[in-house]
Amino acid sequence: MSSSILWTPLLFGLVGLFLPKRAVGWWAVLGTVVTLGLAIAVAIGFDTGTSAMQYTVDEPWISGLGVDYSLGVDGLNLFLILLTAVLWTGGVAFAAFRDQERPKTFYFLMLVAETATLGSFLAQDLLLFVLFFDLMLVPFYFLFGAWGHDRSGEGGKTASAATLQMIVYTLVGSLLMLVAAIATAVLAADGGHITFSIAALGEHGLSHGSQQWIFWFFAAAFLVKMPAFLLHGWMPDAYRAAPLPALAVFSGVLAKVGAYGFLRVMLPLFPDATVEFQEVILVIALASILYGSVMAFTQTNLRLIAGYSSVAQLGFITAGIFALQADGSDGAVLQMVNHGLVVAPLFVIVAILLERTGTEDIREMGGMALRAPVLAALFLIVALATLAMPGSANFVGEFYILNGLFEAKIVFAFVAISGVAMSAYYALRLYQQTMHNRPPSGQNQGLLSREIGLRDGLVLVPLVLCIVGLALYPQLILERTAPTVDQTVARVHGGDATQARLASMTIEEKSEVESGALKIVP
Amino acid sequence: MTTEWFIVLSALLFATGAIGILIRRSPMVILLCLELMLNAGNLALVAFSRMVGNGQGQVFAVIVMVIAACEVVVGLGLIVAIFRRRIPLNVDDLRELRG
Amino acid sequence: MSATAWAWLVLLFPLLGSIVIGLGFRALPAKVAGVLGTVAIGLAFACGVAALISLLGQEPEARHHASSLWDYASVAGLDIKLGIFVDPLSIFMVLVVSGVSTLIHLYSYGYMQSDEGYHRFFSYLNFFVFSMLLLVLAGNFVLLIVGWAFVGFASYALISFWYRRETATRAGMKAFVINVVGDIGLVLAAFLIFRELGTFDYGAVFERAPETFTTNEWTITAICLLLLVGAFAKSAQLPLHTWLPDAMEGPTPVSSLIHAATMVTAGVYLIARTHVLFELAPTAADIAAFTGLATLLVAATMALVMTDLKRAIAYSTMSQIGYMIMGVSIGAYSAGMFHLMTHAFFKALLFMAAGSIIAAMANDQNIDRMSGFGKAMRFTSITFVCGALALAAFPGTSGFFSKDEILAFAEARGGMYLVFTVLGYVGALMTAVYSFRLVFRVLPGKPCPEAQELIETGHIAHEAPKNPATGEAEDTDVGFPGSEHHIAEQSAPMRIAMGVLAVLALVGGLVQIPGVDDVVTKFLDPVFEASALAHIHPSLEQDYVGLGIGGFIALIGIGIAYVLYVARPELPRRLETRLRPLHTLFANKWYFDEAIDLLVIRPALAIGRFANRVFERFVVDGLVSGTEGTVRGAGGVVRAVQNGFVRSYALLLIAGFAGLALYFLLSSS
Repeated sequence: MSSSILWTPLLFGLVGLFLPKRAVGWWAVLGTVVTLGLAIAVAIGFDTGTSAMQYTVDEPWISGLGVDYSLGVDGLNLFLILLTAVLWTGGVAFAAFRDQERPKTFYFLMLVAETATLGSFLAQDLLLFVLFFDLMLVPFYFLFGAWGHDRSGEGGKTASAATLQMIVYTLVGSLLMLVAAIATAVLAADGGHITFSIAALGEHGLSHGSQQWIFWFFAAAFLVKMPAFLLHGWMPDAYRAAPLPALAVFSGVLAKVGAYGFLRVMLPLFPDATVEFQEVILVIALASILYGSVMAFTQTNLRLIAGYSSVAQLGFITAGIFALQADGSDGAVLQMVNHGLVVAPLFVIVAILLERTGTEDIREMGGMALRAPVLAALFLIVALATLAMPGSANFVGEFYILNGLFEAKIVFAFVAISGVAMSAYYALRLYQQTMHNRPPSGQNQGLLSREIGLRDGLVLVPLVLCIVGLALYPQLILERTAPTVDQTVARVHGGDATQARLASMTIEEKSEVESGALKIVP
Repeated sequence: MTTEWFIVLSALLFATGAIGILIRRSPMVILLCLELMLNAGNLALVAFSRMVGNGQGQVFAVIVMVIAACEVVVGLGLIVAIFRRRIPLNVDDLRELRG
Repeated sequence: MSATAWAWLVLLFPLLGSIVIGLGFRALPAKVAGVLGTVAIGLAFACGVAALISLLGQEPEARHHASSLWDYASVAGLDIKLGIFVDPLSIFMVLVVSGVSTLIHLYSYGYMQSDEGYHRFFSYLNFFVFSMLLLVLAGNFVLLIVGWAFVGFASYALISFWYRRETATRAGMKAFVINVVGDIGLVLAAFLIFRELGTFDYGAVFERAPETFTTNEWTITAICLLLLVGAFAKSAQLPLHTWLPDAMEGPTPVSSLIHAATMVTAGVYLIARTHVLFELAPTAADIAAFTGLATLLVAATMALVMTDLKRAIAYSTMSQIGYMIMGVSIGAYSAGMFHLMTHAFFKALLFMAAGSIIAAMANDQNIDRMSGFGKAMRFTSITFVCGALALAAFPGTSGFFSKDEILAFAEARGGMYLVFTVLGYVGALMTAVYSFRLVFRVLPGKPCPEAQELIETGHIAHEAPKNPATGEAEDTDVGFPGSEHHIAEQSAPMRIAMGVLAVLALVGGLVQIPGVDDVVTKFLDPVFEASALAHIHPSLEQDYVGLGIGGFIALIGIGIAYVLYVARPELPRRLETRLRPLHTLFANKWYFDEAIDLLVIRPALAIGRFANRVFERFVVDGLVSGTEGTVRGAGGVVRAVQNGFVRSYALLLIAGFAGLALYFLLSSS
């Protein structure tokens, strides 16, 4: 099952190369829908109560080096896989409704990107993870570079220059990670049989000294990918250059791979270093929250507002993970899904606005709600979810994150929460400046344009329905992810599975355990 | 005759070829010098084969000749192609593949 | 059916109404939308009454019930359920909220009739009522925060309802952001409660708190202060009040519903709901009480000088909520809730009457331009006077009994709390003056052109409306009322709503007359059973002396207003010149806006600019181009070898082989 999810997009992509140009878009949509169906089947068949790996595939691949083709689904990645499948379906469908230049290559690259992303979520072998992590960059290099926007006329960079900059920057991080991955396996084997299996490496444990430096090599790769404060330099140019359907999935999913890496790789493999450097990472996370928020409310370009708000959101997620509390990390996983679900429709809306008005500058927009009330309503829901309005799943995510942080480091929690107030301002400003007020003088006819069409509605409405559905029942995600997440966190503190299970229970369940009505099965 | 003399001759031929490649600019001459170097190698193979007393070295020499023939075909073909396009036959001008 | 089942229905109807009207905005005829919205709230009120009956059928001690639908987010030790809590306090609030809301919906049905955004208005309005009911019925702190924030959002949406008016959108944003600050206070309070008590559930929190905390321990004080941040932001108490006057940019029914009768009283409800915590932290309670006192005085001074009709009433709202906050903070719980109820009646009424007048003035809200409406709009004027009488606490009206009960309680508590009684009466004097200032400026005198037109032709037709703040023409496309104006005299639904409220404003206080009856106190008693403060009762003597003083002060206030604005109209101007600095201070709203601008907004923008211009360009970009440059540099070194000269490759090759050969030669020998 894991394998079929992983390779389905690539298979469809390859076949698509031999189809006529007009059919290839819909073929790609079919591919993503099939993948989505498989992902939903996995989610339905997922066993909720356990922290164990499910749907495992484990074949020796390069046996001499101890590299296995090893995949699996557990609480950490289940919903990220689902998110990937959902957003790719939306992004590809959005693209398929429009004419693309060189459609065959475009959709092929999109589907390759999906396989690579799914691969990095599914991989349970460290080297396989690194491989897919780097493979993700390749299709996006071509997508951003060849289908991107040239900004050299606006004092920016050309698409290829911006893309090259992004690739070089992120690749430096990735290469550090490759070195670190090999070092981890070699040092953990200590002359014995080398293995890259993440589970096995977690059992062995590295010496404290090696953990210290390897931790930072991995952290560099993940923090650049997110991107975190100070390492986000590639983001503005790349976001301005990127074609919007690709950017929607890029921003929605790829940033989460970094955060996911923290939970999947760093916490289990380098527990001592994690505890030791907890505060350093927290400081980076807080800086991301504050800096991202401040930047988001001074920008006027729609893409950059969304981009910097992502920096802030990923800061929250990192902070939640490195609170090293069960609830903080539960919230972080929930928030990864939530953020993907809001940022992708946000970029779809940006694309719609760009098509109508020909501009991405919010100062040149206004009053669109008059002719397009449905678009405005959808945008409003997305904007409210972005600012983590209580009642949305994003709020639940942030609430859990901040509660975890509050228990672990109270001062950090107080600083982080100021980011919430700022997010209210920039998200609402984004909505208000485009949809409300009067259009600025010089009457851009696009501002008076029609209501959102059926085609865009088909992409946007399901995504918004996902947001609303999760808002009503975030427990759907929380109860499936919590067992694995709580165990991951508990092991950092040296706790065993039983304790983790106990920590993840509500008070009533705990009292049931005490009275013997409920038994814990590790 | 001892083997040394064959080897010395082979070395001399090889050096001649190598120097030729380094100092001449005409692709034609470079190709010839390459042949010279290959044949120096062949000579050494044959000489050692005679010294050891079995035919294996000779077999190698034959294979090298076949390869040399192929190489000449390709090389000359390229040279003719370049010549047809009226590009000066000078290896220093043909440097499009620089990094 | 049980009380909780009725309570769930109370929540269901407004939500359904909002969704149906919102989704059907193209399909439903306007009238149907209005009727649907009104009926939905009416049904919620009916269900509230049913819940009340079901509750009254039980023993007083058993009148609290919790019920939950599903686990909302319960992992890792947090217990967050979609649950409600039904007890006399929440049902009391449900009845006030849904009852007044029903009337305001009825009023809006007429008032907004020619507005293009009719559906949107009713959808928002129903959503607001749903949120407010969720707030009061929530069974745990998380759901309370959800309701709290939904209410804030609904308020935003309705303030910026005429969204092409830039003043309106800006006011909406301001309200929203300040309310988010309040939300954050609540969230932090919830975290702290969870950390100390391990639960968010009301029942469990109130049960465990007295066992866990000692009186005035820092944690419980911190919890209460954080709760107060939320309460102050929502209830427009100093210094988080600046959004309320700006919120008057919304349509008048909105001001009447949200910014007078319901939402702004949420802070009062919150303190009453968490009174268990506040009694453990008397310091925090005193801070709340003094803030309430300060607000009631400061707001009253501003109400004295405002020339904008709605803003003056808005400051009066702030001031009255100051009384309530003060009341519930010093322990006068049922008195505070009683005042909340009567205030909802007369303030909603005042806004409705003001809306009717403003409609006649083509949305001009400046009282300097108004006069003579007493003759032109008889019904509106009568109801306006009824509201003003109740606000001024004229003997016998509802405000008379409720306000006095708070002040008498403070007196009964004695000691430091006498300050509240004394200054409360000072505030009452100002209240009487400013409420009748409005009456005397607007109703008597020579009719202004608009009123004259109404008297002569019996209808009003104005040219396209203008935004009084900026002077730009309003955009009627988005649903500004346009050239038709709906006044109570011409619209039966508006008249019914205002009539009912006028009666309630006059006689609503009769349910609780000292020594005669005490319906509210008795009903709420089970909630405050365990509280020591709730058992302090002023003696009958104190009560009647208080009522006497209160009535006397109200009459003096009305008299002063009569002298100033009717008998000697030149006097106010002379006073104004005499007290120039004071007047400037009041008229500029004590410079709160300027202070916030200077302390918060400018620094934030400056940081943003610095980040944008300096930090982003030099540090962050520097890192990127530095990395890129290093990689490129390294590439350049390697590239130099790849120079394209065949012969230099050959030389390298030969040199390499020669080197290798040399190595083997040397190492073999």
